[in-house]
Amino acid sequence: MAVAVELLLYRSYKGHDARFHWFTHFFVGAAVALLAMAVVAWRTRHPVALPMLWPLLGHLVAMAPDILFNFGMAHRRWMDVFLAHVSSHYVPGRNVTWFGVFLASLAVYLVVLDRRVSPAPVWAGK
Amino acid sequence: MTPNGAVPFSTATIRRRLALTWIGIAGSVGVLFVAALSTRSPLDDRDPAQQRPGFLDAVGHASSAPRIAPDLPRNGRKVVVFFVRPGVAGWLCSSLSTDQPLRRRADVAVVGPAATSSCTGVATVTDPAGSLARAFGMRRPRDGGPPVGYAVVDSHGLIRYRTLDPRVASALDEVETMVRATP
Repeated sequence: MAVAVELLLYRSYKGHDARFHWFTHFFVGAAVALLAMAVVAWRTRHPVALPMLWPLLGHLVAMAPDILFNFGMAHRRWMDVFLAHVSSHYVPGRNVTWFGVFLASLAVYLVVLDRRVSPAPVWAGK
Repeated sequence: MTPNGAVPFSTATIRRRLALTWIGIAGSVGVLFVAALSTRSPLDDRDPAQQRPGFLDAVGHASSAPRIAPDLPRNGRKVVVFFVRPGVAGWLCSSLSTDQPLRRRADVAVVGPAATSSCTGVATVTDPAGSLARAFGMRRPRDGGPPVGYAVVDSHGLIRYRTLDPRVASALDEVETMVRATP
């Protein structure tokens, strides 16, 4: 479901050059969500519920100004409140940097699951 | 082993699964990312962050617009200056001819390296040396040729927005959004 929604969002970005923006906001939103998931998992000692939904929600927050743009509202600097929507495009290394941040955040969450979360009652079968 | 014979996953197995999860997500997103990079147009900006940023004054302070035509820019009136190549000019002029809202909001000029005869109701400027594009601070596309995109001049004659946009002829609603945001 979350993957299908992401595909729809990807298609909603008009033009090949707009995919750059989709990736920026996906990486930023998903990274923030993964770090939040890591904090929650660390504190509760359980994996978060609906783990695919968190990155999707993070992405939706990060790309909110683009939705507004489709309704005729140009971007403004204050729209950085949406997970640095404007300034996130201008980091050195551009999306390669954000890809690295996303992968690092994913690793942090998985390490928390490995080190901190109580073993789940999962069985390998007979 | 449990009484019914099931065997719990070992720590090593769980760790291996987490590592495989990371590798799988990194690989699949990475492939999509590289695929998206490879489909960029030769007319796109070398720096994608500079293309269609969607906000005014993205590249520093506003600067005065040069004269485009004898009566442009006019005091108190916004101007949209399209920069085109011959292959794009006809497409753009056709789109402009049906887009009355944009032309009501701003004066429109079409600038290209070759003469553009099919544009009616807008100022057309032939600029074979590309001096106007340079004066407007238009960026060079990846192929190093003349820019395809547009600039927006506010009602005080200041350049407030400029971007490459190879698909501008099919995205005049976006141009209108930027014109509406321009004072």
